[in-house]
Amino acid sequence: MVRFITTRLATTIIQLAGLALVVFFAIRALPADPVARLVGLNASRDAYLSSQKSLGLDRPVLEQLGAYLGIIPGSSGLLQGDLGRSWVTGSPVAEEIARVLPITLELITVSFVIAFLISVPLGMLCGLRPGGVADRITFGYSLFAGSQPEFWWALLFIFVFFAQLGWAPPPLGRLNPMSSPPPFVTGFITMDSLLAGNMAAFKDGVHHLMLPVLTKVFVLSGPIVKMVRQNMVRALASDYVLYARGSGLWPARIAAIALKNALAPALTLLGVLYGYILGSAVLIETVFSLGGIGQYAVRSVLAFDYPAIQAVVLVIAAISLFVYLALDVAHALLDPRIVS
Amino acid sequence: MQPEAAPPALLSVRDLTVAYGGRTAVQAVNLDIAPGEIVGLTGDSGSGKSTLGLALLGLARPPGRILAGEVRLSGADLLTLSEPQRRSLRGREVGLIVQNPRASLSPLHMIGEQIGAVLKAHLPLDGAAADARAVDLLRNLGLNDPERRAKAYPHEISGGMAQRVLIAMALGAGPRLLVADEPTSGLDVTIQAQFLDELWKTARDVGSAVLLMTQDLGIIANYCDRVLVMQDGAIVADDVTKRFFAAPRDVYSRTLLSLERVAPPVAPGDAAIVLEARGLSKSFRLRDGRKVLQAVDHADFVIGRGETLGLVGESGSGKTTVGRCLLRLIEPDAGEVLFEGRDMGRATPAELRRLRKRIQIVFQDPLDALDPRWTIRDIINEALERPDAARVSELLGFVGLDPAVAKLKPRALSAGAQQRVSIARAIAAEPALIVLDEPTSALTPLARVEIVRLLRDLQARLGSSYLFISHDLSTVEHLSHNVAVMYLGQIVEIGTREQIFRSPRHPYAKALLAAHLAPDPSRRRVDRIEDAKLAGEIPSPIDLPRGCYLAGRCPEAVASCRTQLQPLRTLRDGRQIRCTPVAERDGAKTDPVAA
Repeated sequence: MVRFITTRLATTIIQLAGLALVVFFAIRALPADPVARLVGLNASRDAYLSSQKSLGLDRPVLEQLGAYLGIIPGSSGLLQGDLGRSWVTGSPVAEEIARVLPITLELITVSFVIAFLISVPLGMLCGLRPGGVADRITFGYSLFAGSQPEFWWALLFIFVFFAQLGWAPPPLGRLNPMSSPPPFVTGFITMDSLLAGNMAAFKDGVHHLMLPVLTKVFVLSGPIVKMVRQNMVRALASDYVLYARGSGLWPARIAAIALKNALAPALTLLGVLYGYILGSAVLIETVFSLGGIGQYAVRSVLAFDYPAIQAVVLVIAAISLFVYLALDVAHALLDPRIVS
Repeated sequence: MQPEAAPPALLSVRDLTVAYGGRTAVQAVNLDIAPGEIVGLTGDSGSGKSTLGLALLGLARPPGRILAGEVRLSGADLLTLSEPQRRSLRGREVGLIVQNPRASLSPLHMIGEQIGAVLKAHLPLDGAAADARAVDLLRNLGLNDPERRAKAYPHEISGGMAQRVLIAMALGAGPRLLVADEPTSGLDVTIQAQFLDELWKTARDVGSAVLLMTQDLGIIANYCDRVLVMQDGAIVADDVTKRFFAAPRDVYSRTLLSLERVAPPVAPGDAAIVLEARGLSKSFRLRDGRKVLQAVDHADFVIGRGETLGLVGESGSGKTTVGRCLLRLIEPDAGEVLFEGRDMGRATPAELRRLRKRIQIVFQDPLDALDPRWTIRDIINEALERPDAARVSELLGFVGLDPAVAKLKPRALSAGAQQRVSIARAIAAEPALIVLDEPTSALTPLARVEIVRLLRDLQARLGSSYLFISHDLSTVEHLSHNVAVMYLGQIVEIGTREQIFRSPRHPYAKALLAAHLAPDPSRRRVDRIEDAKLAGEIPSPIDLPRGCYLAGRCPEAVASCRTQLQPLRTLRDGRQIRCTPVAERDGAKTDPVAA
């Protein structure tokens, strides 16, 4: 097991290093001029040149790469854990990401866990009685939920739960602008407010999380239920379930055997799903004005903010790969055939 | 135990009918099993045996359904009971063993846990007691280190071991009836015999009745008190084993047993040598690059014109690799193959193509060997010099097929007919030698009998030589003039059919032949006193020991066996054997053939 994790970890690091290089060259291959974008089209040639010099873009590409990686003496780069400074705001990219990333992670992790907790029993139920009432209702729901884009559901929920029923707060960020945010520790509002003992902020944070999480869970549950159901149906049709029935095992025990066999392969797919929704978080963040990493990424791309783009890609990739790894380890713990 | 005495039946089935959708698989079956009786149920593939077996537990594989009938177990009709009541009977009153044991165990649960679950479902045991009981069951079934085995997952144990885990699950709660559906399919002969011995002994010890379903009449003759024959979902024969084998009343069994009554082929006298292999060796480097698998180790043999050499051995013994090395489908590492006097190894590509027309091969799975998009005519034409419709018809006639099948594609034919097409293609170029690599193993018993007949006819008519590779000893006995026994890449004994089948001398050949279950109830294995039993299972062919490969399992091993390579020596009766102690007792001359 240790060997399995070490190999996977090593692969992850190599993948990240490769990705850093690809991103570095890919954005420089774009037919774009970040300096012109920064100083404006009417800037003088001197202003342009001095800006180019201060961004380091006058140096040869390999030298820029050396500085980015931190292998040129005196430079501070990836090897030193330095993601650079944003060309737009001038503050360290790492700080900016630390501010926006937890907002997104909090949203999608909470949504993910809730979706999982709802979908697994539901998928199991559908798999136990394919074609039954629960199965048909769930099938209808997943068609329905998957038929419209996420942001459209978000708008609909805002209309119903905020505008009509008044149960949800307005979609204007993570907290009520009038309430005082808890001191920054982890960046997760719910966690920080609990750490500070600020129950009012905690309640407000959860309240504001309500609709975005509802939207995410609503859209996510469809595919997860389907996956668990398919695997469950396959497990129930297997020889080992037939044999378990022939051996007179209790029905609950047979269901448990089938569920374990159905969940193990589903875990890997969940990792892919997590990476996917992390990358596409921008839509829901925009609808609810959350200011997460998705919006930060879009802003950086539009501003040709190279250090920010590089950092965002690396951070999102690192998180996705870490989640893959964690789920692969969980899969290996469930399924001993993976390791051997 | 004698059905004539008619004790009250333990199991009594009346008019049992099971159907899949509109297709009836089991049709109004009646059968009775007395307490402690071992009943064999045989029949061709698709005759409904497995469906019947499951129906005895009130189960059917979806979308199958039990439509009608009674399954009375000690009087109570299982089919009218509620599902919870039926559940409590399964496993406690009726144990089940199925084919493909590994697929019948959950891959994600430890085997001790799975045995324990069955025990807990039927006996008042808590978790720890059930686990301890599971370990005891494994120990009683002869597994070494049962504590460690109980913590293994199904993919970590061998097929033979998995089958024993199923016995533990089936017998753990002490049922009075055991339903065993092809329990040994996929097992090697020696493991099969060990397993059936254990099953027989355990059933006799605890006095449980057994319904043993198998296609292998040898198993029935050796272990069963009574025989049922099933055909198209109905039971067509029901007789005491001895009487059944003396004069089977149904057509199916008569056909299967007909080969036993036909004298085996007579060896052509003083045949010219067609092929000679000298020191043929082949090893494979495994994926990790360090370990080497010795597939064939210095194989020497000759095949005469019109002669069949049977090559037998268990899985992994290197039989198939030998066959492929002869055609240079696999390039041997060392040794030479002289075909009609020419060295295959030195042949230029053009010569090799010509030589390959003279040596043909027929594979185990006919469907894999025939291009599914071609018609039979295309397939056979390709083997001819030029397309020739008359010759295609003639060849199809040779193999007993209607020439009209020429326009069909392989998938439209049965497996037996597909194998005939493969054979027709092989004989198209009038080869001197045909390598037959397990040609009957993928076939149903009836198709197997027909292919054996066909091969004998063709040999008599065309005079071709065969290298017949098979793990099925009965088929080898029906076809071969000479037999070579392989163990872990080495030929350990080679001689005439009579020498090998009547009085094998090498300890491994002895064990292999002792495990052979002949369809003859007067030669039952359970009545024989076994003189020399081999210990354990076949070791992996990777990193083989120095000295004799059998030394670790051999009852006759002496100290030098463990350190010295055993040469193949000729005994006085002309056979060759790779066992120094036996050869010296025979007084063989020292080292006539280099190892």
